[in-house]
Amino acid sequence: MSDGKPSSTRRAFLQAIPAITAGLALPTSARAAPGKHHWAMLVDIRRCIGCQACTMACIMENAVPENSFRTIVSTYVVQQLTAGRTTAGTYMLPRLCNHCEDPACVPVCPVGATFKRDDGIVVVDGDRCVGCAYCVQACPYDARFINHATNKADKCTFCAHRVDAGLLPACVETCVGGARIFGDLNDPQGTLRRSLNAAKKNGDAIKVLKPEAGTRPNVFYIGLDDRFRGRVEGQAALWHPTSHGA
Amino acid sequence: MTFNTRRKILAFGGLAAFGTGFSATAKRMLNPLFDGDAPKSRYHGASLEPEFKVDPASGALRVNPAQQVSYTGCLGCTTQCGVRVRIDRASGKVLRVAGNPYSPLSTEPHLPMKASVRDSFVALSGYHDKGLAMRSTACGRGNAVLQQMDSPFRVLRPMKRVGPRNSGQWEPISFEQLIREVTEGGDLFGEGRVEGLKALRDLTTPIDPRRPELGPKVNQVALITSTNDGRLPFAKRFVQQAYGSINFVGHGSYCGGAYRSGSGALFGDMKKMPHGKPDYANTQFALFIGTAPGNAGNPFKRQGAMLARGRSEGKLNYVVVDPVLTNANNLAAGERARWVPIKPGTDGALVMGMMHWMFENGRYDAKYLSHPNLAVAKAAGEPSWSNATHLVIVEAGHPRQGRFLRGSDLGLDLPETERYKENDPFAVTGANGAVRHDEATAPAQLFVDDTVVIGGAPVKVKSSLLLLHEQAHARSLDEYAAICGIPAQTIAALAKEFSSHGKRAAAIAQGGMMAGNGFYNAYGVVTLNALIGNLNWKGGLSMNGGGFKDAGPGPRYNLASFPGMIEKPKGLPLGRNAPYEKTAEFAAKKAAGKAYPAQAPWFPNAPGLATEWLTGAANGYPYGIKALFVWSTNPLYGIPGVRAQVEKDLADPKKIPLIVAIDPLINESNAFADYIVPDSLLYESWGWPSAWGAVPTKASTARWPVVEPKADKLADGQAIGMETFFIALAHAMALPGFGPGAIADMDGNTYPLERPEDWYLRGGANIAWLGKEPVADASDDDMVLSGVERLRPMLERTLKPEEVRKVAFILARGGRYQPAKETYSEDNPEWMTHRFENGLQIYNENLGAAKSSITGKRFIGCATWTEPGFADGTAMRAHYSEAEWPLQLVSFKSALQNPYSIAAPRLRALHPENPVLMHPADAAHFGLKSGDGAVIRTPGGSAHGRVIVHAGVMQGVLAVEHGFGHRELGARGHRIGGTQQPGDAAIGAGVNLNDLGISDPTREGKSVWVDAVSGTAVRNGLPATVARA
Repeated sequence: MSDGKPSSTRRAFLQAIPAITAGLALPTSARAAPGKHHWAMLVDIRRCIGCQACTMACIMENAVPENSFRTIVSTYVVQQLTAGRTTAGTYMLPRLCNHCEDPACVPVCPVGATFKRDDGIVVVDGDRCVGCAYCVQACPYDARFINHATNKADKCTFCAHRVDAGLLPACVETCVGGARIFGDLNDPQGTLRRSLNAAKKNGDAIKVLKPEAGTRPNVFYIGLDDRFRGRVEGQAALWHPTSHGA
Repeated sequence: MTFNTRRKILAFGGLAAFGTGFSATAKRMLNPLFDGDAPKSRYHGASLEPEFKVDPASGALRVNPAQQVSYTGCLGCTTQCGVRVRIDRASGKVLRVAGNPYSPLSTEPHLPMKASVRDSFVALSGYHDKGLAMRSTACGRGNAVLQQMDSPFRVLRPMKRVGPRNSGQWEPISFEQLIREVTEGGDLFGEGRVEGLKALRDLTTPIDPRRPELGPKVNQVALITSTNDGRLPFAKRFVQQAYGSINFVGHGSYCGGAYRSGSGALFGDMKKMPHGKPDYANTQFALFIGTAPGNAGNPFKRQGAMLARGRSEGKLNYVVVDPVLTNANNLAAGERARWVPIKPGTDGALVMGMMHWMFENGRYDAKYLSHPNLAVAKAAGEPSWSNATHLVIVEAGHPRQGRFLRGSDLGLDLPETERYKENDPFAVTGANGAVRHDEATAPAQLFVDDTVVIGGAPVKVKSSLLLLHEQAHARSLDEYAAICGIPAQTIAALAKEFSSHGKRAAAIAQGGMMAGNGFYNAYGVVTLNALIGNLNWKGGLSMNGGGFKDAGPGPRYNLASFPGMIEKPKGLPLGRNAPYEKTAEFAAKKAAGKAYPAQAPWFPNAPGLATEWLTGAANGYPYGIKALFVWSTNPLYGIPGVRAQVEKDLADPKKIPLIVAIDPLINESNAFADYIVPDSLLYESWGWPSAWGAVPTKASTARWPVVEPKADKLADGQAIGMETFFIALAHAMALPGFGPGAIADMDGNTYPLERPEDWYLRGGANIAWLGKEPVADASDDDMVLSGVERLRPMLERTLKPEEVRKVAFILARGGRYQPAKETYSEDNPEWMTHRFENGLQIYNENLGAAKSSITGKRFIGCATWTEPGFADGTAMRAHYSEAEWPLQLVSFKSALQNPYSIAAPRLRALHPENPVLMHPADAAHFGLKSGDGAVIRTPGGSAHGRVIVHAGVMQGVLAVEHGFGHRELGARGHRIGGTQQPGDAAIGAGVNLNDLGISDPTREGKSVWVDAVSGTAVRNGLPATVARA
């Protein structure tokens, strides 16, 4: 609120969640090299309680500069016309880097600082990055920012430093509702793959943000419902980060 | 994610934010490549080094020797979750906080105690995805409050005011000076003589010889605190058992006390006020009225996690009835989670409407309700029972009108001293007329309207359930609907749904009950449960498991009593939570022919009432006070309307001559103190708190100093805090219960109470030996991995050899927790293990026989609909018309801020302010749009805020999120020892609804508006209006 007026138009809502679109099919086969991990996340929005534990844990774990966010839960009040009556509801959307299969940020980097690791995690090489922010502009998900402490491009790394140590990303560890499921798409016995399979079996659509961008995200969602596309009046609810548009 | 931001900023033009954006850009333009600090790591920036590594193949754990992970408790809110605190060993700085997997407040189901600390760390990791199954979390606030540890606004040494009260001018003083001045008194501030605590400890001279019931002068020394953070028994030992004052009070009356009181009425204990929660794991339908689990509440995370699980993979459907839409709702969960808006303070109309429908349609559990006692209930397979069939004397003018008919009324021969007490049974109507309830072996009649003969005279009696039925039928469903603003068909649908799941439904409330009729609204909500007989059932209403008592009489050390103890402080408490009829004032007025009204209301059916303390002290009624301790609490910020009433009195040293605060921070209340004593903060503290609710197994969290306290240390190395302060005061006044030999073990050997650990470690030993069997011994590995090793010398110095490893076992695991598999009863897996087995009070005679001390009118003894009103029984709207005050203010809890977390910058960065929520129709009416500045006015004051037009609020309501609008905690810089602190205006952002609370226009003197039965603060349904600023 301190930055400006909250947006209350439908346009603003759609701008704030620009990405809700019928998703692509669940990846059925491994997309990384055999024997390698393929890290990915499933966010079951039904389980999100909008508590921002993920947001805060990420900040503490990764020393994210004040007023920037590697992940956040955008929270909206949505007005719907149901059976002729206007009702209101809360909608939450946890957002982070999608660690895309075809990341838009990689080809635009003039110095090759942004790249995709063998295990699917998209990272920035801080030694190479010149802070030109081309990647920040190229990302369809607004997932990147220039870190004002270092003047380098910054974003979610899936907590690669923790994952490499056999631990879980900070946001996943502390997700109160258990909405964030992190794991290896290449592990058929893993919780992630089993959760995706179970969702498919239950008829819970698995979707990604902005499939039309052709980036093939590795962050999947349950509960990213078409009801919220084009037919909603909504506004960002109480969360108005001082320097963030989510 | 900043580019999107910039677009918005440019679009809407926030000046400050634009400035920030511009300067950053300019900086980069000047030095495009090398002006930043180089990232610490090439790929991971400034991310923390992992605390340990877990081998993906073997699961072997390797710890990072530079860090320490310890399990202790959070105090980011009153839930007090078990957490794991990650510490940089070299600096002692807390790096990050997440959940403790042994704690059911952070993990569901929680890890069994037998798991080693090493195993617990592996259980959190990615090894075999264990950490997903054993997810142990901290909430947003719990992740961020560690920032308070390093707050520049912390109080670290004793301070004495050097200007007038609340002038923000302090001088650091030595601990010795503090103790000397507070105990001895003197001309401490150049304002005249102040009596010290030594002189004020007068245990014999009455406060007022004409009113001996008030007790001795020692009662004029009082302590106000917030909640039991695991240290309350220690403070109580000092104030009540050693010093001898009756006046020790917590924050319940301005927290969610109305709900607790209403629940206490149903559970038959209006002092301890038992309450239940849905057994979330198995409830199929939950009705939340004036509470928003998942958004806030206690326990915040546990309820949120179980709600999330229930509405996605479980069978839970729920409805939240509240004037405000919150994060308790989630559209992605579809119809599983619904929100029904309601007018403030009308919950009683909704629930009486539901009962009306349930009675009309036979949708109450008649079989359950017909059981007159526990034995009959159990024989019928029910784990609980009620007094629905018990007979109540309703004969007008009968001396026992409103009381239950008793065995002795019907000829049972009892000594006069035992009549109408515990051994005098109730009466029910059996197949052959009235019988003793305790001897009944079969169901009794539910609806009874009869006449019995007592002492030869006919006396009209009715059954409890009939009295409730009459109240439910006092209005039609349509009338109830019109009152609460919920369509009749929705009320009927809620009643139908609620009564369609057998025992697997539950209705609860909480802070949303704080209205001018909150008690009856709450009594109504909880009575719904009795009508379906769900108590103690799996999936029904379940009781909290409680904790393992540290400060009890054993089994290792007697921490409950000591030689020289004041057994029970005498007198009447400052909050007048006692019967008016026992006062000299009543006797005198009665003798003069007009017993009512009392000078101010009395609350015989309420617990201690902080709401009435400060105005009572200012009015000198029932008596004035001489010294006030304000420990870890902030009544001036938290009690609606109180600031405007008592601000001047608090600033006047003649009114309360001595105010001593104990707090790690300067808040709105202790800014008025004469002295501030630093206290431990968060992970620096000791304590043995237990869960407040919704944990069906026993749970005691171990709070222990996992980092060194930052406050100044005494010569012997102890950090200054509440414990060291009270120990020193006790020493200076030679009080019993402290010092050498103050603690006895079971054999009568004595031990000192001279340091905090003398108390808490021995409390830990008690906890270790409670339960079916003592806990196991900690291994060396447990102690090293958990950081308890640091305290080993202290444990060995303080405890007996056989106790050391058992207490270490508990500290290492952050508490003692009953296994999750013991949630349901061994005897019957459909019943909860921890059950409430006294009868539920459909009719409560303590309530029904009590009279308003103002009107002299009898209270209704069961749930009912009554309008929000003032002490003289008049409705609020009779004083403040809708024409003049067309809106009503309500408060709602924040998902992120608590009343003392605002100074954590990371929380503010995400959510800097609390815009006032306003319905679109109201906004249109008042010509306001989102972002507009507005002045909100009530009869109690006005405040500037910003409005947000919001579909998620009931029409006619302005909703204010709690936790903002601070004047202190850093919002104002204080001058300390000649150095001016910089204040931070951002800490003061937003509105505090409590600054808009109102007084009771029907009361004499200073007052705040409270519920007439429970004495609880009113912050929902404050008459208000708004205009563009």
